[in-house]
Amino acid sequence: MNTADLTITTANTAPTRPALDYLGTVARWVLGLVFIYMGWSKAMHPETFLKLIRQYDLTNNSFVLNSIAAGLPWFEIFCGLLLLAGIGARGSALLLLLMLLPFTLIVLRRALAISDMQHIALCAVRFDCGCGNGEVLICRKVVENTLLIFLSGFVLAGFGTRLAARFTLFSSSNPAA
Amino acid sequence: MALGANALSPRGLKLTRNYSPGNAVAASHSVVASTIGLPPSANLEKQFRAEGLRLADSALAAHLFTDPKREQGLVVFVDARDDEHYRAGHIPGAFQLDHYHPENYLAAVLPASQAAEQVVVYCKGGSCEDSEQTAIFLRDAGVPKDRLFVYAGGFDEWSARHMPIETGERNSGQVTSALPAAK
Repeated sequence: MNTADLTITTANTAPTRPALDYLGTVARWVLGLVFIYMGWSKAMHPETFLKLIRQYDLTNNSFVLNSIAAGLPWFEIFCGLLLLAGIGARGSALLLLLMLLPFTLIVLRRALAISDMQHIALCAVRFDCGCGNGEVLICRKVVENTLLIFLSGFVLAGFGTRLAARFTLFSSSNPAA
Repeated sequence: MALGANALSPRGLKLTRNYSPGNAVAASHSVVASTIGLPPSANLEKQFRAEGLRLADSALAAHLFTDPKREQGLVVFVDARDDEHYRAGHIPGAFQLDHYHPENYLAAVLPASQAAEQVVVYCKGGSCEDSEQTAIFLRDAGVPKDRLFVYAGGFDEWSARHMPIETGERNSGQVTSALPAAK
């Protein structure tokens, strides 16, 4: 079995469970809208986003920081649009998953540092994590991100083919048709 | 594609520009200050001095604001925040210099700063690092560093002390003693 066969087989498993597939479509839309909104709010104020990511002390290289601040918001918007339209949805979900996992850990690490520094409970820590919706309680943000990770995983598993323009990008036959 | 979109966006960043010159003193200070409202630490002045900058407290900022030399252009205030915040309220007569888009402001602010004896740069205050970086920008643009002050308390402190605030454009004449509504 070659790679193309594998892709088709995986993608074709979803329609055999229509309820889950409809749920996957809702998950795909929710993910798409959330990332378009979060990406747009950052893309309109990239300098604010740059200031926020600088505070994570990831690197001092200005080119790298600028590239993240300039590129990530638009990347989120493009992934969101692809998810909404159902084009290359699994790939987009995978990319979001790869972005969400380390970012959630970085936010959590900073929250722990602040919690330690101020001697307050982790769930009382509140700051603008650069997530696109201003200052938030970090526990709430972690729960939100966990939900987004779950939704991304759900779409990545092949659910959400209903009303998708081309769910699996590199496939000779598309289950959503 | 994402970087292409950034390049096309009027608000896009220039990838090769260092938007954070100096040692980002305020940024390192911000983790604590932004969340528990600490005043600028004692070390802040020392750290600013390392950049060749001087720290202005609220008393000095108020003194310079009422100094008759301000009317003569010998004391200049520079607001380092973006357009939206500047228009919502700024220290009366302050020039604007958003160092992320300096090309829009330099023609007005640079000659005024070079001619002044004292230049007070401020931003929001607290965790804000824009005043420091704008002061470094002005220093690098030729304003003598011994004339540059960073008002660390910033606009938040200024408005909390019910000092005069001008809304809209510079010298719009719309001056109040406090912001109409907190954002």
